[in-house]
Amino acid sequence: MSQYLYIILMLVGIYGLLSQKNIIKMIISLNILELGLNLFIISTGYISGSNAPIIIFENDTNFVDPLPQAIVLTAIVIGFGVTAVALMLARNIYKKNGTLEIDEIRGEDND
Amino acid sequence: MKRIIAILLTVAVGIFIFTGLYGEDSDFKAFGEKNISDTVANSYVDKNVDADRESPESGSANVVTSIVVNYRSLDTLGEVTVLFVSALGVALLGGFLKEKVTFSVKPGFILKNGMKIISGIILITGIYIFIHGHLSPGGGFPGGAMIGSSFLLMYLSDEEFKTKITAFKIMEGTAGSLILIIGLAGLSIGGYFLYNFLPNGNVGDLISAGIVPILYVLVGLKVGSEISNLLGNFLNGEVE
Amino acid sequence: MINPILLVAIPLLAAFLSIMVKKLSGVFLFGVSLFTAIGSFFIENGSYVIGGWKPPFGINLVVDDYSFLILIIVNILFFLTLLNGMWDLKKNETVLLVTLAGVNGIVMTGDFFNLFVFMEIIAISAYILASSTEKYYSVFKYLILGTVGSSLYLFGIIILYGTAGTLNMADLASKLPEISNSVKVLAFTFIFSGLAVEAKILPFNSWVRGIFGNSNTLTGPMFSTVYATVSAAVVGRVFGQILTIDTNLIYAFITLTLMTFIFAESAAMASKNLRSILTFSSIGQAGLIITMFLLGGFYAALIQLVNNAFAKMVMFSIATKTYSSNEDDDIDNLAGIFRKHYMMGLGFTISALSLIGLPLFFGFYGKINILQTAFATNMWIPAFILIGSIIEGIYYIRLLVKLWNPGKEGDESSEEAGTSYTILNGFTVSIIALVVGAVFVVAGITPEFLVENIEKAANSLGDINTYLSSVMGGI
Repeated sequence: MSQYLYIILMLVGIYGLLSQKNIIKMIISLNILELGLNLFIISTGYISGSNAPIIIFENDTNFVDPLPQAIVLTAIVIGFGVTAVALMLARNIYKKNGTLEIDEIRGEDND
Repeated sequence: MKRIIAILLTVAVGIFIFTGLYGEDSDFKAFGEKNISDTVANSYVDKNVDADRESPESGSANVVTSIVVNYRSLDTLGEVTVLFVSALGVALLGGFLKEKVTFSVKPGFILKNGMKIISGIILITGIYIFIHGHLSPGGGFPGGAMIGSSFLLMYLSDEEFKTKITAFKIMEGTAGSLILIIGLAGLSIGGYFLYNFLPNGNVGDLISAGIVPILYVLVGLKVGSEISNLLGNFLNGEVE
Repeated sequence: MINPILLVAIPLLAAFLSIMVKKLSGVFLFGVSLFTAIGSFFIENGSYVIGGWKPPFGINLVVDDYSFLILIIVNILFFLTLLNGMWDLKKNETVLLVTLAGVNGIVMTGDFFNLFVFMEIIAISAYILASSTEKYYSVFKYLILGTVGSSLYLFGIIILYGTAGTLNMADLASKLPEISNSVKVLAFTFIFSGLAVEAKILPFNSWVRGIFGNSNTLTGPMFSTVYATVSAAVVGRVFGQILTIDTNLIYAFITLTLMTFIFAESAAMASKNLRSILTFSSIGQAGLIITMFLLGGFYAALIQLVNNAFAKMVMFSIATKTYSSNEDDDIDNLAGIFRKHYMMGLGFTISALSLIGLPLFFGFYGKINILQTAFATNMWIPAFILIGSIIEGIYYIRLLVKLWNPGKEGDESSEEAGTSYTILNGFTVSIIALVVGAVFVVAGITPEFLVENIEKAANSLGDINTYLSSVMGGI
């Protein structure tokens, strides 16, 4: 059931990107999309009745799948990097145009 | 009108995903019912990927760390590069805004004095986490993020806080180059890039698992200095 | 023989060192680029394992005839782009080194998640390079579309991992027949959408107009040659060799790529701005090349890929140099400009004619093979390709006529009615234009040397068994 929730989060992010007109809201929708995706990836690794993948006792290897966790580590950091660049772009757009609404920003296609 | 199209499109994509994953025809493993022996991760968990080597072939107790730094180390190198390029990009873009950012609400008494106590604790916790990345949950990336957050606290509590930005850049560059030099040393010693050429030791000791703790410490330092550099460029708005 | 991991590790090492010694970063950049351009000739075929863990447990880099060809082309193009854009480098040297590492890695990789990581490396470097033109809103649109695309790609490969249990390309290719059809359709659609953003396919290519149309002498050639080649090559590898799709889905994808081709060529016909015409031509060529990869016509696709990359290098470098000298590139104002710069005009003309596919130039073989492959499938596809090619021919010839003849259309051409614009600092651009033009003409007459290697590459792409045995059976 929680997997349904994560996919719905991704869809909320996509809807936000399609319908919002403010640059900061678009960046937030992008973050929601990435959040839903990362949660979905972790959830594909769950095996009921298993423990976290840290070896405490030598012979007890009843672990959940560790590979999606490694993937999500990388994906979170990449999402952070992209968000940082997007926020700097938003700041420069504001300085150049005085507004953050995409309806009011014009005149950039082919000078 | 645009909203209706957006809703329709989202619902269509949602129906596509749900019927694809959870319909009768699909063999996508349902939540919680996966069998780990079907996947590649079975060998990671049992630590017997390469039958020629003596077990344990990767001495770290944290299986996720052994995947991130040992089995799939090229992904980690790529991720560190992504963070590096983002920090560089923020610095380059920051040159467009020439004046320094000032706060409209000046930091108060609690923030200024609490900072002196707390930021040291956060810094030490971050360093602890990435040193013990192969023994307990965590590792280079969460540890580096904690270091970055302690520097953020220092930036927010004191407007005149100007660390030497060059110190971050030197640490970033050195840590990154050392990671690559260890990889190239593995290439010349063992024949493979990023080969684990130090002895493995016992699972659970601090000095164990070959190059894994060394790489993770370097990654943690690099991530910490990059995040601090990035936040500093946001607040100061100048490029060096 | 050098280990191909050095093509990724040396540029990264130079990038990390160059931020500490700012003054030498230009030296690092040119030195490393020369190293990879020459060194890419000296790698041997095979599957190179990283860290000593065999695939599918570890990551591997695969060098076969296909990736060998693409590596050589991309590294040479990168070096030529640096020569063209020398004056516009500003502070981008470190970002360019990271781009070089990422481009080399993404062509060679044999693992889907590794492809995602390298895709993000080259995407973020592209955002930063593009922002050197100071058109921040266009870069923002590119960022949003690029990140959505890569998230969809990641979703696709995780669905495949949840079903098949592996992320390695060769392993997944061998497990593909056991996966149920609905999961395959879902996963392939998302993976294609993710790769289509960078490859400029409708409906994901709204970012191209803003980025290419506003390029300067560094970003114009870089995006239209290096990035375009790499994105098409990745689609060719993933969808041509590894993931075999059933026919209905292929026709759905081909509809998109053919529509991209037709719409782009029509938009180019309606454009009056030199960089816009070249932009829409790039989009159209990307659609055409990917159609060929999906149909299985690897030989035709690779010839057109090489043709497009070198032709666009010449044309974009001349166009952006014109813009940077005159702050304007409306073609009505540029009438007759080639009469003042014969060498550039000659190079531009040969590249344009080769791109259209006239006989006597190298592009002719591309067009012939494209039409041969298309006629072998059904009647509709070659019809669309012919319509698009005719439109392309019309607007290129019209452009060339206008740029060579001063004066308005229909009047007597005279020297006084010519443009007052000139192109400054054009020496490097002229030399490169002439050399590439000469290669196109020579290869058009005696194509054996080039087509032999391209044919080897195309055959290796069509042969999944050799790929599997070299990865799984090897070290």
